[in-house]
Amino acid sequence: MKEFRRRPVRTGITVFGVAVAIATLASLLAFERGYRRGLVSELDRLGAHILVVPKGRPFDAASIALHGANWPCYLRESYLREVRSVPDVATAAPALMQATPLEDGRSMVVVGITGDYLKLKTGWTLEGHFPASGLDVLVGSDVARRRGWRLGDTVEIPGMPGSRTVSGLLAPTGGADDGFVFVPLEEAQRILGRDRVLTHILVRLKDPEALDGAVGRLRGCNAGMDMNIVPLTHLFRTIQAMIRSTRGWLGAVAFMALLAAMTGVSNSILMVLSERTREVGVLRAIGASPGDVFRLFWLETLLTCVLGGALGLFAAMVASRGVESWLRSHMPFAPTDPLVRMDPLILCACLVGTVLMGSLAGLLPAWRASHIPP
Amino acid sequence: MRNKPDTEPHPILIQAEGLSKVYRRGSETVAALHGVTFEIRRGEFVAITGPSGSGKTTLLNLLGAMDVPTAGTLILDGFDVASLTESGRTQLRRHRVGFVFQHFGLVPTLTVEENVALPAFFARRNDARQVSELLETVGLGHRRNYYPSELSGGEMQRAAIARALVNRPPLWPADEPTGNLDMQTGLTVLGLFRRLNADGLTVLVVTHNDVIASAANRRLDLRDGRLMGPDTGPTSMPRVPAGPG
Ligand SMILES: Nc1ncnc2c1ncn2[C@@H]1O[C@H](COP(=O)(O)OP(=O)(O)OP(=O)(O)O)[C@@H](O)[C@H]1O
Ligand SMILES: [Mg+2]
Repeated sequence: MKEFRRRPVRTGITVFGVAVAIATLASLLAFERGYRRGLVSELDRLGAHILVVPKGRPFDAASIALHGANWPCYLRESYLREVRSVPDVATAAPALMQATPLEDGRSMVVVGITGDYLKLKTGWTLEGHFPASGLDVLVGSDVARRRGWRLGDTVEIPGMPGSRTVSGLLAPTGGADDGFVFVPLEEAQRILGRDRVLTHILVRLKDPEALDGAVGRLRGCNAGMDMNIVPLTHLFRTIQAMIRSTRGWLGAVAFMALLAAMTGVSNSILMVLSERTREVGVLRAIGASPGDVFRLFWLETLLTCVLGGALGLFAAMVASRGVESWLRSHMPFAPTDPLVRMDPLILCACLVGTVLMGSLAGLLPAWRASHIPP
Repeated sequence: MRNKPDTEPHPILIQAEGLSKVYRRGSETVAALHGVTFEIRRGEFVAITGPSGSGKTTLLNLLGAMDVPTAGTLILDGFDVASLTESGRTQLRRHRVGFVFQHFGLVPTLTVEENVALPAFFARRNDARQVSELLETVGLGHRRNYYPSELSGGEMQRAAIARALVNRPPLWPADEPTGNLDMQTGLTVLGLFRRLNADGLTVLVVTHNDVIASAANRRLDLRDGRLMGPDTGPTSMPRVPAGPG
């Protein structure tokens, strides 16, 4: 069917409105998907169900344990025994974390660990071996890449005296571990002058479903007064709930934008119609049926919407990087995976939405047009 | 293109009897035609004349199946227009009537060629060769890819005439086709009319122009919605005009 080209400026504005609405919708969906996946895989990589930290704010604690930073206060190593004695606990891995600021604004995060850590990180792939002596280090993939360290190299680590041997390289995990350097726990305690203390304990349960009971029992033990027991799944769930409430609002905004764009399209086509009433009359006079006229205007509206939708999706894809970094700087807790994930499903959903919207928006103008007499 | 080859081409193309048209605007009514009776044979060239407001456009719209009479019967190429449904009248307009407007009525966003092809498009048919032949006939072969705004008035009207011919309708009503043209251009268009009439088309022209009116082989003269002269039949006897209330 022959397209009915007209006013480029007005059509442009209408198309822009649709594009903005669709871009908002697509970004929102992409964020929702990316964020949830990010949280889930972050949990997987962590390999732990419960995080035991010193008393303090659990959100800070989680963020620190997950992404590495200096610890404000410490746990006594003796608590570890108590944690291990709780029946639901399969593995309790102690850790002492220390971050040394570097000149470039980053920091060197050193984590003292024991072999228990490996039992949690079932997803790890090592080249070389886990640190056997105090002078061995296991290096995360990002650190190794940035510093050009290779297996067997003798290296100096900021914040640690003397030189050490890279005994192991950690294959990329996609998580925070990539940015850490791991040393034996006792060595970390020795260098840092923090004898018999820990910054956190990662706990893996025999049965993740038994989380609530395990948390209760951990809180009830003698050392429970001095420890903060953070159930990670709960923590993630809380974060998700926070995001969800915001998302509800954003969803409403996107919906309104969609509605506004739709009325915009309808309105613009109605205006075209009122300017072209006589022309439609002529079309009817030379043999167009009401159905022909209906199709003409309906398709015109649909095309406008699909054009806008396609532009919007394109814009959303182009802008997703910017949106990503903006979100990262504005969110209390962001997983290391991409937050904004544009996948084909979202693109399809948005296109279907556009077509639906266009079809709806086109009904009124098309119906009106088809009732213009010859 | 004959739509119904089985129907015998009747020599009488239009048969109007007691044709009346009353327009309603809210509570007001305007009687534009009062029981007009006449016949038009195939191949005639008829001029419809009369002072402004006498009902010429109203009559032509009825003859072009654009509107339905308030009273009386109108048989157009064998079809009773008043008893047809909207889609039936669409079919009539599409295949049996080629309307030409005073304002040309070209779609400004389509090229000349696309404009001419429009009625064929609505008739679900596509014949590019015929379109270009028609453009040659009206002398617009070199303007096929122009937009209407790039044409002169006479060229626009010739494009409109080509468009009216594309579905090969037997009837060809034109409402003041030269009203927006200067004398010289008007005469060119008139020449085109005569040529097409000579080829067998039935031409109905509403006109204020005496030259055109005298070129026709018959004249229907309207006064206040009534026919004057030889075609005035008994049903056009003066009546009380329909008034408000
Ligand atoms: N759609 C309409 N609604 C109401 N009244 C109408 C309508 N169309 C025409 N009329 C009235 O019907 C009468 C005849 O109008 P018509 O257009 O047929 O005249 P005309 O002979 O074509 O005049 P002109 O030479 O000025 O074009 C006029 O009084 C006009 O006001
Ligand atoms: Mg008129």
